[in-house]
Amino acid sequence: MKSLACILLIACTCLVAYSQEGADRATQSKLIALERIGKLQACQNKDIKTLDSILDEDFVHVDEQGAVMTKAQLLSFVQSADTLIFLTDAMIVKLHGDTAIVTGLFQLKGAARGKPFTKQGRFVDTWIRKGNGWVAIASLSTPPV
Amino acid sequence: MRFALYCVLLCVIPAPILAQDSGNSAAETTIRALEREWVEGQSRNDTRVLDLIFDNNLVYVEYGRLVSKGEYLSRIKRDIPLTDTISFEGMTVHVFGNTAIVIGSYQEKQPHDRRHELKRWRFIDTWVYKNRHGWTLVAAGSSPIAH
Repeated sequence: MKSLACILLIACTCLVAYSQEGADRATQSKLIALERIGKLQACQNKDIKTLDSILDEDFVHVDEQGAVMTKAQLLSFVQSADTLIFLTDAMIVKLHGDTAIVTGLFQLKGAARGKPFTKQGRFVDTWIRKGNGWVAIASLSTPPV
Repeated sequence: MRFALYCVLLCVIPAPILAQDSGNSAAETTIRALEREWVEGQSRNDTRVLDLIFDNNLVYVEYGRLVSKGEYLSRIKRDIPLTDTISFEGMTVHVFGNTAIVIGSYQEKQPHDRRHELKRWRFIDTWVYKNRHGWTLVAAGSSPIAH
């Protein structure tokens, strides 16, 4: 009887761990998809509506030159840019309950006021779960090594 | 009757708001203290303090390179103890429930050709409140401030 209880307990523990792992993997995939939607699609297509829904009202961005941008400033930059083409690579997601850290490499090619520019480096984004979705609250871009 | 209702509303409605505000302010104070503890711990090469502050899954970007908690602590252990190498210029703490973002800038004194070079950095740190651990640093990184 005791051994049966032990087996059941181990089985239940494994099941809980397995389902948690599955849920975490699904969340990680969702966050990578959100990163791609935000950076690769919304920025390139100047889709302000999508960016507005992904970024929290208190969102803050620090760029690779140490300049701080609020959500409104970032949306205005995207809107006014001539072109923006983002490339991302090697994304990693770390989950901490309802908080997630996504880091990866980026390359941004674009033009603003007729002047072309290229930026590259590493980004560190912080996401929090709000309601049924996730919103970005902070983003840091650092220059390459 | 109306007056009594107003009184009840005045007493009840602000309570959660006040509780939230005082909770956020307590979190802010703790996080500011931890930020200073981190800098002081680093200047003393006190990896035991840093081990308590950093989450095991810390994402740390140092000079553009992604380093793990273990790699960061090893580097601190090897360094010569230094004082007054980092001085905060100011920081702002934004609390989002169990998550907090710290944005600020600091000056770093770096030895360069027998002289000290001053470099300014802007940083973003992410803290998460975890049961049994309290506020823990889960991500940190900084960018050099362009002149």
